[in-house]
Amino acid sequence: MITEAARSTDMALTVRSVSKAFTARPVLRDVSVALRRGQAACLYGINGAGKSTLLRIAAGLLRPDAGSVWIEGNDVREHPDTAKRCLGVISHASMVYSELTVLENLRFAGELYRVSDRAARIEQLLTETGLGPFRYDRAGILSRGLLQRLAIARALLHEPTVLLADEPFTGLDVQASEHLIGIFDTFARRGGTILMTTHDTRLGLRCCERVVVLDQGAALLDKTKDEIDPERFAEDYLSYARSQN
Amino acid sequence: MKSAWSGFKAIVVKDLVIELRARQVLPTMIVLGMLIVFILRLVSEPSSGRVEMPMMAAAALWIAFLFSGLLAQERSFGVEQQNGCIDGLWSAPLDAGTVYLAKLLANVVILSIFEMVIVPAVLLSFSLRVTARWLDLVIVLALGNLGISSVGTLFSAVVQLTRTRGALLSIVVLVVLMPMLIPASFALLVLFGAMPEEVAGSGAMAFVGSFRVAQGYLLAFDAVFVVACWLLFGVVVEE
Amino acid sequence: MRRWFMALSIVMLILSTWLGLTKGQIVPIQRNILYVHVPNSIGALLGFAALLLASVGYLVTERQIYDWIAAASAEVGTVLASILNATGMIFSRAEWNVWWTPSPRLISSALLWFLYVVYLILRTSLPGSRRRRARICAVFGIIAFLDVPMVYISARFIPDIHRPDFSFESSWQTLALVLGIAGTIALAGVLIWLRADLLRRRFELENQLHN
Repeated sequence: MITEAARSTDMALTVRSVSKAFTARPVLRDVSVALRRGQAACLYGINGAGKSTLLRIAAGLLRPDAGSVWIEGNDVREHPDTAKRCLGVISHASMVYSELTVLENLRFAGELYRVSDRAARIEQLLTETGLGPFRYDRAGILSRGLLQRLAIARALLHEPTVLLADEPFTGLDVQASEHLIGIFDTFARRGGTILMTTHDTRLGLRCCERVVVLDQGAALLDKTKDEIDPERFAEDYLSYARSQN
Repeated sequence: MKSAWSGFKAIVVKDLVIELRARQVLPTMIVLGMLIVFILRLVSEPSSGRVEMPMMAAAALWIAFLFSGLLAQERSFGVEQQNGCIDGLWSAPLDAGTVYLAKLLANVVILSIFEMVIVPAVLLSFSLRVTARWLDLVIVLALGNLGISSVGTLFSAVVQLTRTRGALLSIVVLVVLMPMLIPASFALLVLFGAMPEEVAGSGAMAFVGSFRVAQGYLLAFDAVFVVACWLLFGVVVEE
Repeated sequence: MRRWFMALSIVMLILSTWLGLTKGQIVPIQRNILYVHVPNSIGALLGFAALLLASVGYLVTERQIYDWIAAASAEVGTVLASILNATGMIFSRAEWNVWWTPSPRLISSALLWFLYVVYLILRTSLPGSRRRRARICAVFGIIAFLDVPMVYISARFIPDIHRPDFSFESSWQTLALVLGIAGTIALAGVLIWLRADLLRRRFELENQLHN
C-alpha cells in the first residue's frame, strides 16, 4: 500500500538527523540515511556503534530523541499504521511463538496486519520458503534455519516494500545464509528496499549496493558499491574494527 | 474500529491457545491458590472454632486471587519476551491500547478459569453455603478479577519490558489494589452470612457498609483503573 | 529566596509549637500532637497532588525538570507520610492504649505511606533509558493519585472507633494549627525545590562527564 505522498518522492526510507540517548552517553548523534526505492544498504559498525538502535528507530520500535523517520513518505510517528504496513522486520530473534505451529504463527501475523486473502498469501509464502511440509509443526521444534525462514515468511506476509534486517545471518549455516540471500535478491528485484546490519562484511557486500559505517553513533562512511573497491573495503573495515577494541 | 478488532481478537486467541496448549501458568496458579487456601484453613484450626470461618475464607479467596493473579500477569508479557515476539507485536500496525485490552481480556479469562477451581475449594474447605446468592458471588468475583487484572496487566508490561525482577510487579500491583480489598472482603462476608446486608456506622467518617455500596465501589474501581491503564499503556511501553 | 522561604517556614513551625504548648494547649496534653499530625496529613495529601501535576507535566512536555519535581515530591511525601503515621501511632497509644488499630484514618494514612514508598522503590529499580524510567514513574504517579480517593472511600467500610472531638476553645489554638499547616506546606515546598534542583545538578554533572 503506497500513499499519494509516497509517490511524490522516490525515497522509500528516510532517516532524518536522528539522535538517541538511553543514558547520558548518546547512542546516535544526528544520523541521516536515505534509501531510494529498490536500494539495498548495509550498516556496519562495531558493537555499540548504534546499528541496532538505528534499525529499531526506523522500525518505530524506539522513539528518537530528535529527528524523524519516513517510510514511503509516511512519518513513522505521525502515521504509524500506514508506515508500519510498508515495513517488514527481521532480526536474529525469530519473533515467532514457539508454542504455535508454523501455520498459526503466519495466521496470527496475517491478522495483525489485516492481510486480505490471507489463506492464499500464506500458501504462497509456505511454498516460496519451502516450509510447506512443516506447516503443522510447532515453531519451537524447528531448526535454526527453518525458524529463520518462518521469521522471513512472517515479515513478508503483508507484502512490505521496505525490509529492515538486524543481524539476519546470526546463527545460520552456509546453506541457510545462501537461502536468505536469495530471498533478499528476490525482494530487491521486485522493487523492495532493504536496510540491514551485519558483522559479516562479505555477506553484506553481496546483498547490498550501498555501505554505511557507523562509528560511535555517527555515520563515518556512506558509499555505494561503485565508489569503493569491495575487497579493499572488507580489509580496511576489518582492520578498523580491530583497532576499535 | 473494525481494524483494531482483528488484532484484538488475534492476540486474545493466541494468548489463550498458548496457555491452554503449553499450560505454562494455570497449573502453578491453581496449586499456589490451593496451597494458600489450605494453609489458611490449617492455621485457623488450632483456635478450635474461635476464629470465624467466613473471615478466613474471605481472606483465603482474595489472597489466592492476588498472588495467583500475579503469576498470570507476569506470564502475560513474559510470553512475548521469548524469541523477541514483543518486537513483532510493536512493529505491527496496532494501537497500544488495543494490545492492552487484548492482554487484559486474556488475563481475565485465565483468572476466571482459576476462580472456577478455587472458589469451590474454598467453599468446601471452610464449609460455607452461598447457594441462594450464587449470582451475587459471581458478580463480586468477576469485578474483583477485572480490578486485579487491570492494574496487573499494565505493570506486567513495565516489569517484563524493562526486564526487572518480578518482585517489583508484586509490590506495585498489591499497593494499588489494597483499597479494593476492603469492600471486596466486605461483600464476601455478606454473602457468606457473616455480616448483615447493611451496617450503619457512627463517627465522623460514617460507616457506609452495605452490599450494594461495596459492589458499586468495585465497579467504580474497575472503571477508573481499566480506563486509566488503557490510556496510559502506550506511554509505558514506548521506549 | 529559597533561604528566606526555608527560614520563614521554620519560624512558623517553631511559633506553632510554642503556641501549642503555651496559650493554645489542648487538654489532655497528648492531644497536642494534633499540631504536628494534622499539618503532616495535609502535606502528605498535597504531595500526591504535586506528584500528579509533575507526572502529567512530564508526560505532556517531556521536560526533565518535571521528572525531578516528581521524584522530589515523592521523597518529601514519604517523609510527611512517615511523620503522619508515627504521630498517629503515638496518639493512638496515648489515647486508646494500642499502637495501631484499623480505623479509617489510620488505614488511609498507612496506605498513603505504602504508595509513596513503592513509588520510590519503582524509581530505583527500573533499568534502561532515563526517559523511559521517567515515563513509567509518571504513569505510576498518576495511578497512585487515582488510588488516593479509592483509599479514602474504601476505608469507610471499616467502623470508625470513637474519636475524641476537638473543638477549639480559643483562637490561639486555631492560630497554632494554621501556622503549623502553613509552615509544613512551605517547608515541604522548599524541600521539593531543593531536592529537584539537586537532581538537576547531578544530571548536568553526569552529562559533562560523558561529553
